[in-house]
Amino acid sequence: MPKFLHLILGAVLASLLFSGCTKKSGLDYGLKVEETLRINLQQEPPSLDWHKSSDTTSAMIEYNIMDGLTDYNLNDPELGLKPALAESWTSSNNSKTWTFTLRKDVKWTDGKPFEAQHVIDGWKRILNPETASIYAYFLFTVKNAEKFNKGEIKDFSKVGVSINDKGQLVVELEAPQSYFPSLLTHHATYPIRLDVVEKFGTQWTDPENIQTLGAYKLKIWDHDKAIVLERNDDYYGDKAKIKYVYGYMINEFSTAMGLFESGRLDFQDSIPANDIQRMKSEPTFRTSPLLGTYYYGFNARKKPFNDVLVRKAFVHAVDRSQITTLLGGDMSPLKAWVPKGMFGYEETIGLDFDPEKAKKLLKEAGYSDVSKFPRVVLGFNSNENHQRVAENYQAQIKKNLGISVEIQSEEWKVYLDRLRNDTPDIYRLGWLADYPDPDNFLNLMTKASENNHTGWSNSKFDELIQRGSSVADKEERRSIYIRAQRLLTEEDVPVNPIYSMVAHFLVSDRVKDFPNNSLSKIELKGVSFK
Amino acid sequence: MREVIQRGAPIPLILFLTSVVWTFLGNDLPQTLLLAFLGSTLFYFLFYVIEKNMGAYVLRRFLEAGFTIFVIATMTFLLLRVIPGGPFDEEKALPPAVKANIEAKYGLDDPLWKQYANYMGGLLQGDLGESYKYVGRPITEIIGSALPNSIQLGVYALLVAYLLGLPLGVIAASRHGTWVDSAMMVTAISGVSLPSFLVAPLFVILFSFTLNWLEPALWMGPSYYILPMVVLGIRPAAGIARLTRASVLEVIQSDFIRTAKSKGLSERNILFKHVLRNSLIPVLSLAGPMIAGILTGSFIIELIFAIPGLAKHMVQSVTNRDYPLVLGATLLFAFLLVLANLISDLIIAMIDPRVKFS
Repeated sequence: MPKFLHLILGAVLASLLFSGCTKKSGLDYGLKVEETLRINLQQEPPSLDWHKSSDTTSAMIEYNIMDGLTDYNLNDPELGLKPALAESWTSSNNSKTWTFTLRKDVKWTDGKPFEAQHVIDGWKRILNPETASIYAYFLFTVKNAEKFNKGEIKDFSKVGVSINDKGQLVVELEAPQSYFPSLLTHHATYPIRLDVVEKFGTQWTDPENIQTLGAYKLKIWDHDKAIVLERNDDYYGDKAKIKYVYGYMINEFSTAMGLFESGRLDFQDSIPANDIQRMKSEPTFRTSPLLGTYYYGFNARKKPFNDVLVRKAFVHAVDRSQITTLLGGDMSPLKAWVPKGMFGYEETIGLDFDPEKAKKLLKEAGYSDVSKFPRVVLGFNSNENHQRVAENYQAQIKKNLGISVEIQSEEWKVYLDRLRNDTPDIYRLGWLADYPDPDNFLNLMTKASENNHTGWSNSKFDELIQRGSSVADKEERRSIYIRAQRLLTEEDVPVNPIYSMVAHFLVSDRVKDFPNNSLSKIELKGVSFK
Repeated sequence: MREVIQRGAPIPLILFLTSVVWTFLGNDLPQTLLLAFLGSTLFYFLFYVIEKNMGAYVLRRFLEAGFTIFVIATMTFLLLRVIPGGPFDEEKALPPAVKANIEAKYGLDDPLWKQYANYMGGLLQGDLGESYKYVGRPITEIIGSALPNSIQLGVYALLVAYLLGLPLGVIAASRHGTWVDSAMMVTAISGVSLPSFLVAPLFVILFSFTLNWLEPALWMGPSYYILPMVVLGIRPAAGIARLTRASVLEVIQSDFIRTAKSKGLSERNILFKHVLRNSLIPVLSLAGPMIAGILTGSFIIELIFAIPGLAKHMVQSVTNRDYPLVLGATLLFAFLLVLANLISDLIIAMIDPRVKFS
């Protein structure tokens, strides 16, 4: 026996030595580096079922393998829409009825032609209560859709979507909605091949089963390891320039950084604040504005923030540019509510940094002796950046108002639970656009919104938002949203906007035309190698 | 017959090492090899259990293990419900109707006792449920695809630990009191004290980025395996070296070695035939706790080297409040730990005649 053992141990040692000089490409599945774009997805996409997924990683893959009826024109600074599966659309009945003319030359990856029925199948599926889709509410503005999702209506033909005799898709809404077509860019509204879903059950998203119609198709999905997309040569639009996309699932930033800097990765998203300074001077470093607002909300249900004077005093007491400088990125201070770069943004809206005025307002509110000011807690979810912002905020309030703010951080879901049940006096949150329309941001602070944790509401504000979503004229809408923002950030002030978010990412030297837009939409078909 | 069987005793070990080498070279483990290994191990396990009359003992240990796992399952299930924040609480609050549909789908609207009964019922049938986060993927499948990578890493690290630790310890003991001894023990102590989150990046910088010998991360073949397995194996290797040294020194001073020496046996003969065999007992008994250490230590290694193993599920499932996945991963770890301890106890029982069972 010892002889045997020696032999095997020897083999182990020998292979240890040998293995130092085996394959080096870093690409599995026989792919060649020259024709493969290597990106880091950072995590396993939780689901490629576009009616069930609710996260950005899955959405990014889905966006590249599927198309919606409409798409964003990413070259347009105001992010208008462009045709995708629908070649044109019209509205009638004061934006309450929408008619979409669909392309006739689109084929699924198995060669079957795309039809209007696939859209209806998709909507029926996502609204079906049994599908239990998180994004079902995206279509709640469609007539009877919410009732169908609640199970109050069983007959889907009562839901406001149908095919007319010209083969067009006709959508009837509950109420006028001028931006309805932009909802159809979202993966929740994509068409689907019900025959495939029914045949394969939960396995329908496996590469050998899935049917898609986008610029790329799913080639390999090696769970927790890699995803490989391959160019769809039968795509109806401009064909993708790079043949393969290899998605890694590396969660640890320093690991991904090592791979990127040693030339093993072409794209790395999200850079920690600490590394931004170091990376900023690199030619691979990219910045793009993001349609997102980072803000603090006040709990207006109880003392001291039930008093608008105190809220105003706190907003006036904080110099936002200190915070953005501290974070080191290229985010810009935000006084208004709608982020920079979005329709409805207006620089003049909001309260300025003015410590003298802040002190005066505090006195007016009856706190001439700040030692009598109640204990104030600022809550946020544990994160290095949020911590730094909170500490700076704490220091500024201390310096400019003489008030001590206690900061408390909690794990994300614990924090969410607290926001809903026992809102801190001041709370941190952010909002990223679901669709690039001010309604998406302002709706957040209406009385009915589940995301308004301030306890503040104003029927005048709610009315404005209601009107804004139904008006079709662009300039009229703009003035409505400016009015609403003034009410929110200058008059009632339940929130303290801090900055407009930005995205930082790295793109390797060999890559050309990598997308850079404020929606963080990574459309890979236009990307090529130098 | 018994002779023949006993002579074949190294078969599981040979199959095991063959599997290790085969997978290490970047190949998939063939089903037949795995089955042959498991089958032969089971055969010898049963053979020894019967031969050494340990049936009652083993049965008792298994029952204890089952009970431990039941307790862990119950505790984990309840603790998860105590933590604030549910699986479908997101930043963008869901409309109540949508949330109700989701809760109905996963049975989260049932009373807690019913959810518990359903889960335990499923568990008895080997059904761990479906993930909330990875929509539609059964927990068994998620664990099934991650576990082999974790086991692979763990086994390699364990081999590194023994291959490095045993010789170091023996050499140090046989050169007791010399500079060789001191040098080795200093190395061992630094090995124990250096945290892997420091060693890992240092090794990566040296062996991947500077020397360009090995891959800095991922899990695709031999050049990817070496760094993580060495980093993970270093700490237990140091522990083994120290223990081996102490144990060898103790055995060397015992009476039967003096007898052997006085009979005129050669140094070499004494060391390999008498000293080693006896001093291995405490070292092997360390295997149980050490496997536990490697399992838990592998968390950070898997994250640093982006190895698609269980670590990230273990960590992220809690953050996501993915109840079925947290439970599945916890139970798996509990099972592995209980199993590792059981095995190391049995190994000792087999090689150390002084151990008695009741």
